[in-house]
Parts: sequence; structure tokens; C-alpha cells
Amino acid sequence: MDKHTQKKWDKAAPHFDIMAGGGAEKRWKPFKEALFSNMEGNILFLALGTGLDIPTFPKGKNITAIDISPKMLEVAQPRIEEYDGSITTEVMDVHDLKYAEDSFDQVFTSCTFCSVPNPIEGLKSLKRVLKPDGGLYMFEHTGSKYYPFKIMMDLMTQLSKRLGPDMNRTTVDNVAAAGFEVLEVNNLFLDVVKTIKCRNPK
Amino acid sequence: MDHRIFFVVGDLIVNLLVGTLVGLTCAIVVGVGWNMFLAMILTMMLGMLIGGFMFFPLSILFGAMEIMLPAMLTGMISGMIVGMKSTMHTVAPSEGAIIGCVCGLICILAIWLINSRLRGARLHG
Repeated sequence: MDKHTQKKWDKAAPHFDIMAGGGAEKRWKPFKEALFSNMEGNILFLALGTGLDIPTFPKGKNITAIDISPKMLEVAQPRIEEYDGSITTEVMDVHDLKYAEDSFDQVFTSCTFCSVPNPIEGLKSLKRVLKPDGGLYMFEHTGSKYYPFKIMMDLMTQLSKRLGPDMNRTTVDNVAAAGFEVLEVNNLFLDVVKTIKCRNPK
Repeated sequence: MDHRIFFVVGDLIVNLLVGTLVGLTCAIVVGVGWNMFLAMILTMMLGMLIGGFMFFPLSILFGAMEIMLPAMLTGMISGMIVGMKSTMHTVAPSEGAIIGCVCGLICILAIWLINSRLRGARLHG
């Protein structure tokens, strides 16, 4: 377990919804609903956080959700109880998943790989627990390859990474480097906010 | 651009506000006779910083990256223009604020245009 990352997110938990739960969630809600409407079968949701995504889940699903921060999951508890379906939570580090190989039909992430310390290793770990041909569905913000946005995101990362996420990750490249087949990248705002659909080709 | 009126108005308010504040600040800070190149670099950085910090309270209402990047762009451009102009002749704070506000409007229009080109699904494989 990465104690440094756990401590960072435990510290952020009580105030997390103030920054992330307002305008950003309202803005992203329709796109998240569209992505999560693909949920089927045995689902792993990575980094549930304070559960802000739960209202965008389709009803009646059986979801295993993990997060590195127990404090985040404590804040998420009322939203978990309100969900019309089943959400089982566990405190777990994506670099060290305790699940057997090929355990899940699908994996979903939401603004997760901006914060995973070693993203390629984390994605390889997801690949291991995902069944062959299983889908990886991601809602992520990444860095931009266009100037001046690239410089801005590099600058802001120097500040943001102390409190939470990096803003300049190359998540699409990381997904491919981890061995997934990228099927679709859907840019929602510039080339920064996007959904990524992938397949596990193993 | 986001077609929901709340976010369209929000984008406009954020960029007009950031542009106005950065223009005002740069008109006050930069004096006639400064080295223009140095003033340009400093005010671009100052504008980006102001835009970056204003993102935190404004994002609570209007969004995350959709606020941060336009605000920083507006800060950078309005800082650059007002800063350079202030090295050539005295720019009153009110004039700086108006120039900054106009820069904010132009920047958000540019972002909407760029976004309309970049957004959408691309199939791989």
C-alpha cells in the first residue's frame, strides 16, 4: 500500500466535494452517464473517492469499487447506501490488486489516472484482473499536446500534485503502453477532458 | 462549447472577470519606460498566475479544466497586451481593465472555436 498517496487523499477527503462536487460534476454528468451506461456483468470501479460518480451509474448493477483512501470511502458511504443496486467497497491500491486474474468483465475509472503514482504499472494491474476481451472504460482529464495549453498544464501540475492530481498525464499513451487496445478516444473539452474505451486483447 | 446556457454564461463571466482583473493589475504595475520584452514576459506570467488562482473559487460553480485553461489563456493574453502597452505610454487602470475584458471575450471565443475542432470521438485500431 502506497502510504504517501493514501495520506494525501485521506487529507483531501473532508473537503473534496467542495472543489470537485460542484461545477465539474454538473458539467461532466451527461458524459459520465453515457460512459457508465455501458456497465454490464461483473464490474470493477477504480477509485470511487467520495462517490460523486454514483448518481451517474445505471440502476441495478453489481459493482466492486476500490479506493486507496479509507477516509474517501467513509464520505462516500451515504451515496453508496442510496444507490439502487449493489456496491461493495474495499480499501486497495491499484498497484497491488488482491483479485485473481480475469476476475472482472469490465473496469471503469473516473478521473483516476491523474492521481495513480505509477500509471502504467497500475494499468497493467487492471489488465491482469480484467477478462480477455473485457472492456476498460475511462473518464479522464489528461495533459494537452497543444501549446500554450501544454505549458499551462505543466505549470499547474507543480501546484496540484501537492494537493491531489497531476494535470499533465499522457493517459492514452499509458493505456496503450500497458498493453490495452485503444478502441475510441472521445474528446469532450479540447484534448484534455475525454472518455477512452479500450479492450483487453490478452 | 458547452451548449447549456448556465455554462455558456459561466464561461463568459469567468473570462471577462479574469481579463478585467489582469488588465487592471498590469496597468497599475507596469510603468512607462520599462523594457518591453521583459514587461511582456512578466505580465504574461502574472496574468497566468492570476487566472490560475481565480480558477479555484470559480471552478466550484462552473467546472474544472473548462474554467482553468480559458482563465489562464485570458490571463496570459490580457497581461501581455496591457503590459506591453503600458511600457509605451501611460495606461489608466480603467483603460487596462477594458482592454483586459475585451481580451477575455476574444480568448473565450477562441477556446470555443478550438474546442469545436478538437472535440468528438476518434476511432482507433
